[in-house]
Amino acid sequence: MTMAGHDRSSLRKVRLYGVLIALLGLMMLPFYAMFSSTLKPESEIFAAPATLVPSDPSVQAYLQVWTQTDVLLWVGNSFIISVGTVVLTLLLAIPAAYSCARNDFVGKRTFLLSVLVVQMFAPVVLIVGLFDVITQMGLFNTYLAVIVPAAAFTLPFNVWMLYGYFKTIPVALEESARIDGASQLQILTKIVLPLTKPALVASITYTFLYAWNRLLFVLTFLTDSAKYNIPRGVFSMVGALQTDWRMMLTVSVIGIIPLLILFAFLEEYIVAGMTAGAVKE
Amino acid sequence: MSLAEEYTETSEGSRLEQGVAYIQHNSRAYLLIAPAAVFLLAVVGYPIIETFRLSLYQSPADSNIETFVGLQHYVEIFNSDIFYRLLWQTGRWVVVGVAGKTLLGLLIAIHLKGDIRGRKFFRTAFLIPWGIPYAISAVVFRWIEHPQFGYLNAILLKLGIIEQGVGILGNPSIAWLGVVVADIWIGTPFMAIIFLAGLQSIPQELYEAAAIDGAEKWHQFRYITLPQLKSVVLIATLLSTIWTFVSFDVIWTMTGGGPISSTATLVIHIYQVGLQNGNLGRGAAYSVIGFLFLFVFAIIYLRIYTRGGDEL
Repeated sequence: MTMAGHDRSSLRKVRLYGVLIALLGLMMLPFYAMFSSTLKPESEIFAAPATLVPSDPSVQAYLQVWTQTDVLLWVGNSFIISVGTVVLTLLLAIPAAYSCARNDFVGKRTFLLSVLVVQMFAPVVLIVGLFDVITQMGLFNTYLAVIVPAAAFTLPFNVWMLYGYFKTIPVALEESARIDGASQLQILTKIVLPLTKPALVASITYTFLYAWNRLLFVLTFLTDSAKYNIPRGVFSMVGALQTDWRMMLTVSVIGIIPLLILFAFLEEYIVAGMTAGAVKE
Repeated sequence: MSLAEEYTETSEGSRLEQGVAYIQHNSRAYLLIAPAAVFLLAVVGYPIIETFRLSLYQSPADSNIETFVGLQHYVEIFNSDIFYRLLWQTGRWVVVGVAGKTLLGLLIAIHLKGDIRGRKFFRTAFLIPWGIPYAISAVVFRWIEHPQFGYLNAILLKLGIIEQGVGILGNPSIAWLGVVVADIWIGTPFMAIIFLAGLQSIPQELYEAAAIDGAEKWHQFRYITLPQLKSVVLIATLLSTIWTFVSFDVIWTMTGGGPISSTATLVIHIYQVGLQNGNLGRGAAYSVIGFLFLFVFAIIYLRIYTRGGDEL
């Protein structure tokens, strides 16, 4: 490569990183607004116009938030709802996906395609009918009122993700285990599921995030404030006349920290899940 | 489905007997999908039917008395100005939202494609807005756009673009823009990730060949990247269209559909009428109209997804 060519390529590198960092900065601005506001004392947060950099940063809000709001309760409820949804979805999805991957039967195509249609069926257009069903089932104001619909709408993703992966596991492995006298359940839990780990992790992360992030079901089916999750808790802090912005933004920061940890460790699985339905290999 | 054919051909007896024998033969397969199938029928299938039924009734949420009214809800909806205003507001919300997400997503993906140091870091960071609760993003944008204390006004004032603070979310003519910005922010990462995956699946030789032929960057983008990315763009924008169309949490948290219903979309109206005002029948009728839109999207999606007779 000539000197000129080298210069040009490194110039291009600089420009590339420049644009990338600018784009990232743009996308990170809301987080800056959120986080920097939580470091301001009460007097400064209500300064007009806003100060773009806290003049006297302090972590006081993070000490007060535990007693001034129900943030711990909300985080706890978020965990209950997310874990409950993951368990219920997997219990339903694993057998169904396994059955479709290993058997050829009438109705399989119909089942898989209708599952795909459910994926498109957004809960909000179904909310009126769902309201009726949840009330009739006597689930109103229980955690199940949120877990049951969340499981239904994450089931399609789980079934397809696991189905696709089960198909790649050679049947020969299972057959040799069967000859050795292993039961169907043993084969599934000891041989198949461990091999399915990437798909399982992708499914679990997707379901966990779905249940953690959605407001709609909690807003509609839980009126008992002791069962609020993080989104519902934040929503409840938006006052008609007055809003304690400092506390609300602090709760928001705390509510996304578990997710940031999740992203840092499981990014590849999340990306694999996101692209599963859109990019065909 | 070869097994099915084989079985029907070889067995004798009435069709019913054949059917029973077939199910017995495959009982384990059916038993394993049964819980999921029954669950979906109960939690998704039944509410769909219930929505259709309710849409034919006058049904207040706070009483058990239902009165059959036939198609009255639909007639009233189609004769109301609100409906056409909702369609217009939903349309601009979806078009601007999806366009914004697609363009920003493409921009990010193109810059992430090459040989980037720390790509994992960048990809994770770009992912965050998509993966956090919509209600939290919504309150953060509400805060940014706050008429007195918001960062946006502070920046605009500093740059001398405005002379005094403007209230975006309180102004019926621009409030929807203040909300759609938040929705674009939330929806962009998905597009970026999908486009990135699509870009990475384009064979590198195509670019090398083009570079040898002396094709310029823009021409490479126009004649290699875009055509190769076509099906990915198609699916991603379709999915994004569906999700933008049904976007609820963001609008509900930022404006609740106001001021004077200027940020209401079809799904926001469903919620307001059906659950907030407790007019289940009317809300159900609006839901059925929402089904129709989703049905069209779903058909297109299935078409693209199962194109070329791909094996399931």
